[in-house]
Amino acid sequence: MAWVRVWPKWQRLLHAGLALTMVAALVTYEGGRLHELAGYAALALALLRLALGFGGPMPARFTAFVRAPMVSWHYARAVWHGREARHLNHNPLGAWMVVLLLSLGAGAAATGALYVTDRFWGAAWLIAAHALLAWPLGLLIPLHIAGVIHASRRHSENLISAMWWHGCKRAESSDRARSPPEA
Amino acid sequence: MKNRIQGLLAAMAIAVCTNVSATGLATCDSGPKSGWQPIQKLEKQLSERGWTVRRVKEDGGCYEVYAIDDKGQRVEAYFHPVTLAPVPTKSR
Repeated sequence: MAWVRVWPKWQRLLHAGLALTMVAALVTYEGGRLHELAGYAALALALLRLALGFGGPMPARFTAFVRAPMVSWHYARAVWHGREARHLNHNPLGAWMVVLLLSLGAGAAATGALYVTDRFWGAAWLIAAHALLAWPLGLLIPLHIAGVIHASRRHSENLISAMWWHGCKRAESSDRARSPPEA
Repeated sequence: MKNRIQGLLAAMAIAVCTNVSATGLATCDSGPKSGWQPIQKLEKQLSERGWTVRRVKEDGGCYEVYAIDDKGQRVEAYFHPVTLAPVPTKSR
């Protein structure tokens, strides 16, 4: 059985950094020094990942794994009926989750960073925007983890250790979304 | 498969609904609002101390003030609505 390195070290480190800083910021939601430090770090990491999504190595670009809405919808229906294809890169639902987590994370961190400047301190609209962007992450992160566990069970593999540890997945002839993407 | 996904979504919906309750940093035993001093009086008192008040809202029966204090520091401070005395907050 052939194994391929799907997540290079930089991608695993970015993922770990984003996961830890975003969870740290959510847990310290009342504010304070740790909340702010976690937020600044999350902002830098999310912006870096977004930039690499447009101009980074081919497999990590959004065009390599984000699929059109209709394709993603069909994939979601296949998941519902328990007959979805295995993907080596992010699957279509996972891809949209990546986009959502990164944009909400960056938006929440940016509005939070602005709020603690002298210029915007106390601005009600800004703290409302911060809350609206940040709180959905409290739902989406568990949903992301649930999706990963679900996909792991469906295809009898450990996606958590692939992303957090060795970065490798087995290659199968029936896999979809090898990189670069198929037409 | 459907059942497992449905169960999971339901469990997460419940977890979210029971978890949305933001907490303030202090509470005041301040009685009915008819006994409260007006916000304008608090703002005047603070600006006389050199504060620039950005926003005053109610939180936990207290007035919660966002301001730049006389030393130029951003502060979030609580005041008792009846006495207008500062209310200590748990540190962040």
